[in-house]
Amino acid sequence: MKPNPLKEEHHLRTKLDEYEVDVPNFPKKLKYSKWERLIHVLASPTKDPFEPLLSATNGFMFMKIAPIAGTVVLTLLQIFLLT
Amino acid sequence: MNLIEQIDEYMIAYQNGNDEALETIYSLLRQPLYSFIFRYTRDEQLSIDIVQDTFVKLQRYRHHYDPKKGKLKAYLFQIAYRIMIVKLNRRKKLQSFLPFLTPITKEEFHHADRMTIQHAIVKLPEKQRGVILLFYYHDMSHEDIAEILEIPKGTVKSRLHNAIQNLKLELEDDFHEAQSFERGTSSPYEIR
Repeated sequence: MKPNPLKEEHHLRTKLDEYEVDVPNFPKKLKYSKWERLIHVLASPTKDPFEPLLSATNGFMFMKIAPIAGTVVLTLLQIFLLT
Repeated sequence: MNLIEQIDEYMIAYQNGNDEALETIYSLLRQPLYSFIFRYTRDEQLSIDIVQDTFVKLQRYRHHYDPKKGKLKAYLFQIAYRIMIVKLNRRKKLQSFLPFLTPITKEEFHHADRMTIQHAIVKLPEKQRGVILLFYYHDMSHEDIAEILEIPKGTVKSRLHNAIQNLKLELEDDFHEAQSFERGTSSPYEIR
């Protein structure tokens, strides 16, 4: 018989018993195709790369000003290059 | 004959060409495998993929299984554990290179919330998590756990001990409350 270090841990055992897992009814087929896997990866939710910028006021201002500043810089560059 | 021995018999039948035996093995071991992977990763789709991959591997290497060396259940858990570790390592690499492309898996947990057993298990170091899950939820012996995780039996014992201590620590508030109930008070902060 295996020694059971959890034998005396009644409360911990009660807590562990509370953790039940609902097993979903995934298809009986034995493998997803590579195409299905790719679709799943592409369709799964991902982090928003701009979230840190949008959550702070300065970041939000930066997002507003950056395109304007970029346009100004590109315009100036063109003016200098053409003249 | 117990269920574990029955599963081994089905595997022998499958090795001898009975394809229906694989369906039976699948229906008997799909749930425990999924539960183990899900409790470890908390990722439903990843758990489904790993269970599918495990059975694909079992089909491909059906003749590699030797019933004299161990039970089929432990053999399948070992395959699933290896696949899971490879996938998790790949995901960690992807996370470090392209953090915004990796799927969201971690559940938000605020310290103000009550610590649940789910969060306590997720917070355990990975090395301890596998041991406690296999020992408690899948009734594996120390020998089987050592085989699945490819670690010495003594390491299984020490990791199990550490996992229990860490879980107790994480669920400390619950323990205090339970103790106060046992002493006959309704709350540890009750004013007399």
